[in-house]
Amino acid sequence: MDPRFTELLAPFLKFGKDKQITPESNLRALGLDSMRSIELLFAIEDTYGISLPDDEMTDATFATAGSLWHAITAQLPDETGART
Amino acid sequence: MDLTELGDRVARVAEEHATRTDRDAVFPAEALAELRATRLLGLLVPVEHGGLGGTTEDVVDLGIRLGRADMSVAMIFTMHCQQVAAVVRHAAEPLRSQLLGRLGQGQEYLASVTTEAGKGGHLLSAEAALHGDGSRLHVDRFAPIVTGGAHADGFLITMRSPDAESPNEVSLVYAHRDQLDVSGSGDWQPMGMRASHSIPLKLVGSVPAHQVIGQHGKFPEISTTIFAPMAHLGWSATWLGTAAGALSRVLRLLRGPEGRKRFDVGSELLLTRLSRARQRLDGVHALLRRATDTVRDALDLSVPNHQLLLNALKITAAEQCHAAVQDLIDAVGLRHGYLKDSPTRLEQALRDLRSASLNYSNDRLHLADGRLALLDPEVRLV
Repeated sequence: MDPRFTELLAPFLKFGKDKQITPESNLRALGLDSMRSIELLFAIEDTYGISLPDDEMTDATFATAGSLWHAITAQLPDETGART
Repeated sequence: MDLTELGDRVARVAEEHATRTDRDAVFPAEALAELRATRLLGLLVPVEHGGLGGTTEDVVDLGIRLGRADMSVAMIFTMHCQQVAAVVRHAAEPLRSQLLGRLGQGQEYLASVTTEAGKGGHLLSAEAALHGDGSRLHVDRFAPIVTGGAHADGFLITMRSPDAESPNEVSLVYAHRDQLDVSGSGDWQPMGMRASHSIPLKLVGSVPAHQVIGQHGKFPEISTTIFAPMAHLGWSATWLGTAAGALSRVLRLLRGPEGRKRFDVGSELLLTRLSRARQRLDGVHALLRRATDTVRDALDLSVPNHQLLLNALKITAAEQCHAAVQDLIDAVGLRHGYLKDSPTRLEQALRDLRSASLNYSNDRLHLADGRLALLDPEVRLV
């Protein structure tokens, strides 16, 4: 995952302080609720200049850091972001 | 015997005791006994486990039928079905066979323990934590509102998962009454829904580790796929039934010999009020059926347009069923709209239905819906 992404994610995870964010990190358990999901979505779209499709607005997309990153990379122009 | 007949049996018993259970704010024990005897408590239990093998649509039909007789009984029934649905979908062996067997025989009435002081009804977080020692889970939980808690044989309880790192890691655990020390506190004197006997309870005890429903931390998924949809469908059916029963009793009064003397059925004001009440109920009914089909067919209920439909059902049913009874009270006036002893029972219907917008608050659902609307800019209607 892009370090820019984990940095962007951190402030939305109120129970994630001092924890390493990995693709398996459970976002809901770390404090991402539905209100913060919207703010996170806006932050992602601003940072990467992309728009996540309506079809991706599911619990599965926002389940883990890895699943969300996967949805982002699918929208990046030439998939510059490494998926790891 | 078909389900309609079984529903009629329970409805007759509920109706017989409704005035007393409302007046005394006591649990409808006789109606529960009939729900056991008809084995409707095992409606959703698959036939191979001895149940009636019913569907979500059957829960909705029976919720409406029982609501016509007594809103508290209908609520008790549909909430129990919500618990059973979670067991059917997520309980693992050996609990699964044991519990479904008892449920199928009508031996087990399940109460829901999801409320907790200080979290404002927020389902997806928990303060009190389960403590595990490998083979057992220790439960120590206070809940401010447990519908039917004094009469339940078992409880499905939300608690923070063992070793959770945040309050958002929530597990659902089953406990039989015999596994718990159950103590009640406080009095129950509400405006309406008086027979639902929704009391505060303290539950302390321990259960084998396999009594967790689904895996630890999996409650959010159970909530999205079962608890929330079943709650919205079940409550809406209950409210629609209550308002439909009220309209039916008013219409029978107006068409009877006394009514024809007392009321002018040519009055445009009366006709318009009857029309409005009926229109509200047909709108709720259509939405309820559409939402029931969506819950049955949808591959992923977490997508915003499905969530929005279910929330819209709950909000709309709460508002419109209450409004329909208001219309009816205006239509028939003081004697039959406001007095407790009128055969229309509008006075009780209005008090009972006043709870609908508060029971999982419409205000909070609107906040959720505003956020969900932002996630569906194309506005994909279901």
